[in-house]
Amino acid sequence: MSARNLGTELDLSWISKIQVNQPAVLRRAEQIQARRVVKKEWQAAWLLKAVTFIDLTTLSGDDTSSNVQRLCYKAKYPIREDLLKALNVHDKGLTTAAVCVYPARVCDAVKALKAAGSTIPVASVATGFPAGQTHLKTRLEEIRLAVEDGATEIDVVINRTLVLTGQWEGSDFIKTSTGKETVNATFPVAIVMLRAIRDFFWKTGNKIGFKPAGGIRSAKDSLAWLSLIKEELGDEWLTPELFRIGASTLLSDIERQIYHHVTGRYAAYHDLPMS
Amino acid sequence: MAATHAQRSTREIFTTLEYGPVPESHACALAWLDTQDRHLGHYVNGKWLKPERRNSVPCRDPITGENLASCPQAQAEDVAAAVEAARTAWENWSGLPGASRAQYLTRLAKMIQKHQRLLWTLESLVTGRAVREVRDRDIPLAQQLLQCHAVQAYTQEETLAGWEPMGVIGLILSPTFSFLEMMWRICPALAVGCTVVVLVPPGSPTPLLLAQLAGELGSFPGILNMINGPASLGPILASQPGVQKVTFCGAVEEGRVLRRTLAGQGAELGLALGAESLLVLTEAADVDSAVEGVVDAAWSDRSAGGLRLLIQESVWDETMRRLRERMARLRGGRGLDGAVDMGARGAAAHDLAQRYVREAQSQGAQVFQAGDVPSVSPFFPPTLVSDLPPASPCTQAEVPWPVVVASPFRTAKEALAVANGTPRGGSASVWSERPGQALELGYGLRVGTVWINAHGLRHPEVPIGGCKESGSSWHGGPDGLYEYLRPSGTPARLPSLSENLNYDTFGLAVPLTLPSGPEIGPSPAAPYGLFIGGRFQAPGARSSRCIQDSKGNLHAYVAEGGAKDIRGAVEAAHQAAPGWVTRPPGARASLLWALASALERREPALASALERHGVELKTAKVEVELSVRRLRAWGARAQAQGHVLQVAELRGPVLRLREPLGVLAIVCPDEWPLLAFASLLAAALAHGNTVVLVPSGVCPIPALEVCQDMATLLPAGLVNVVTGDRDHLTRCLALHQDVQALWYFGSAQGSQFVEWASAGNLKPVWVNRGHPRAWDQEAQGAGPELGLRAARTKALWLPMGD
Repeated sequence: MSARNLGTELDLSWISKIQVNQPAVLRRAEQIQARRVVKKEWQAAWLLKAVTFIDLTTLSGDDTSSNVQRLCYKAKYPIREDLLKALNVHDKGLTTAAVCVYPARVCDAVKALKAAGSTIPVASVATGFPAGQTHLKTRLEEIRLAVEDGATEIDVVINRTLVLTGQWEGSDFIKTSTGKETVNATFPVAIVMLRAIRDFFWKTGNKIGFKPAGGIRSAKDSLAWLSLIKEELGDEWLTPELFRIGASTLLSDIERQIYHHVTGRYAAYHDLPMS
Repeated sequence: MAATHAQRSTREIFTTLEYGPVPESHACALAWLDTQDRHLGHYVNGKWLKPERRNSVPCRDPITGENLASCPQAQAEDVAAAVEAARTAWENWSGLPGASRAQYLTRLAKMIQKHQRLLWTLESLVTGRAVREVRDRDIPLAQQLLQCHAVQAYTQEETLAGWEPMGVIGLILSPTFSFLEMMWRICPALAVGCTVVVLVPPGSPTPLLLAQLAGELGSFPGILNMINGPASLGPILASQPGVQKVTFCGAVEEGRVLRRTLAGQGAELGLALGAESLLVLTEAADVDSAVEGVVDAAWSDRSAGGLRLLIQESVWDETMRRLRERMARLRGGRGLDGAVDMGARGAAAHDLAQRYVREAQSQGAQVFQAGDVPSVSPFFPPTLVSDLPPASPCTQAEVPWPVVVASPFRTAKEALAVANGTPRGGSASVWSERPGQALELGYGLRVGTVWINAHGLRHPEVPIGGCKESGSSWHGGPDGLYEYLRPSGTPARLPSLSENLNYDTFGLAVPLTLPSGPEIGPSPAAPYGLFIGGRFQAPGARSSRCIQDSKGNLHAYVAEGGAKDIRGAVEAAHQAAPGWVTRPPGARASLLWALASALERREPALASALERHGVELKTAKVEVELSVRRLRAWGARAQAQGHVLQVAELRGPVLRLREPLGVLAIVCPDEWPLLAFASLLAAALAHGNTVVLVPSGVCPIPALEVCQDMATLLPAGLVNVVTGDRDHLTRCLALHQDVQALWYFGSAQGSQFVEWASAGNLKPVWVNRGHPRAWDQEAQGAGPELGLRAARTKALWLPMGD
């Protein structure tokens, strides 16, 4: 985490002054995906970088310690060692940014990571995820318990009732969505959020992180997200302290692309370890 | 630049996370050039034409300077051969049912689709523009253009009844204009049944490739012909028999020269000039999106020109900060790199930009340049110029690619004054989230296209054109079709060039009017004054001319108007303009109807005045009656102006507005002295113009009689009538820079002079070249042609979304 966002006096006039033109933002979203393409070595390097931004996530009702353990192992060894060697990046200690689980599975994750000798942080969704419609008291208790179990990052679902009535909350990171909605991380929405982050930084000097979550499945998508951050916020935001991608299946597609880059062949399903 | 990093390892890039090159192979473009042994020719009548002993011009890669191929420079006989082919093809092509032409255009669209990679790589290779823009925008748009115009051709018999194709069209392209500019013009021309000869700037092979693709369809060779040659061959092209219209797109000064040299030639001239655009950013804008609009307008290889940026004072600092940030992230490089925003445009464009920036600096401007762009010619970085003193020469000059000149404004009213205070009138965008303000600005800008909260959108069904020095030729939409049509039955245009017409002296001196024999018969009425600013007044020269009746007897004295009187009349018309434009169409209609009734009441006097000029009483009465009808008809039509276009891909409407030309000068013909006067006046007023009018020379009395009614009925200055020596008055009007359009019905020499003189402010002119018109016929006297000429189109894009 970068320096904590200590918050600022709530000034609703900032928000009321913001103008967003939807058709123009949609056009920008289309352009950004077409204008910034990376190929060959650049693509491989960008994909490896994307791995370091992933919050490797499992948020299923049937999660158990065994699949959380497998997930943690994959977080520690996201890309096959021989592929990394071929690209001469095997000594970079490449891991995902974090693993992300439900509060009840934090314990399992912490244990599995410890066993693997890893310091990857454990993130937990909390506070009545994904709707956030529970009492403040239980929400706070949920956070306290997750932290007690060893979670170092908490994805909070804010009380949208309060937001819609103009009572905002502060945070270090903002997410596009829970990943459990019908529409999740989309470019137009992200553009608006990133511009808000930049404006906040210009006004207060605080850097707020950004995490798109949900629906980011392909390696190509992840490249577009990286260039979106690079274009709208700049290179200084391209660090796990300020940018995360919440995803579960993205990593395997990235690994497949790396495999293809190194070997020139498309991988079979069984060529790469599952997460 | 991307290419300099070519040897980076994945390991290094993992740390820097930089962009890399995304080279687009141009092997297929080179292979195509090889099929011609790297010696291109003209493409005429469905075949390559490679005449011997021609100067050859190299076609170069604008970035490396590598010689890619050579093109022959055309001589007059090549132009003649191409026009002959087009003329022969026209006889068949123009007579085909629209459905057959539609089928052909559809086939050509498919042909483009099949060879799109070749087209985009070749175009990007030889122009240096970013391949992304050519591939993702130009080529799809070219196909769309063909498909949309195929539909137009299909429905032509129904929707364009009463119109016929002009004939052979000459199209002159300037080197800075892209292949797409050509498509915008040849599609409507071919669709309506014209055939085309394109004068391609030397060293631009993409149009040749398109012609070859069209030629390979087999049917109808000769409808599309390409000749390599500079714009200076334009007069030769225009003077070929059969060429009915010449369309030019290029720089303003080139257009002016062409306007002068083509005066009196057979072909009509359509001009689309300049490439500068305008962006108005208000404090109610989504500033980040507006900044992207600036990128679209100037730094994305979409437009050929630069941008004038007006920013409201209250958001100036914030906008400039965002602009600078954004500029730093722009990437320039070889056009064939798929991840650059901007390519290069060759040495000439580089030098032009360089000169402008240096001059701006020397005149006290701040210059900011940024972006990842190679620092060698012909690459030029995105450039933002600010603090340019308002009166400096650079403020007046056209802003070149890729320069943006920013200046502040305080209120929307001031923004309009600044924006309209240039001789250019191409396109503009308005950025404001307040719909009322956005529409106020959109309606108020004197330009051909306005986008609200967007910049640079294009669609085949939306007309693009301009006003003032941007020229008055249109492409796209219904207006684009009318460029190549004429009312059915109009005779073909023939050259009426008078070689010995001296432009310096034409109409300069007013012949002296001396007493011409004794006043006999009943004493003539008191001399008529000039009708200016709503009242009769004495001419500056304080002399009168006598009007004789058909028997040679003195009929009346009319005032001898001169240059000063024209000046006064134009001023009066300008003063009346704002009031008249803002009047609702219904109010305009009722005034025209009131005038019609007044004319009806005055019938005996008007008929007898006409009778004295040799018109039979019965015919005279018919002329008065027809005149009344014309006023009423145009009054009724005043209410049905413009319409809404619905464009695919865009949520929201595009308004096709019909706006007045401004101050319209009309030199009426001698024939039908009352009817022609009433027909022209009614069409002009119905469309919201204010008018300075010179009535028939031999019989001005009926017009002056009507002025007595206008004095009481119409707002002062709306109509001004000046009598006097027609050549002299024509000269004064044609050379007047603040007359926005001129209709001339008189001698061939007068027509030629008007065409020549209009080059000054590039006002649209309509001349009859000495041919009388049948004003009593509906088509010629009140047809849609008058309505088209009496107003200009503006396309107002209104994207919607929340």
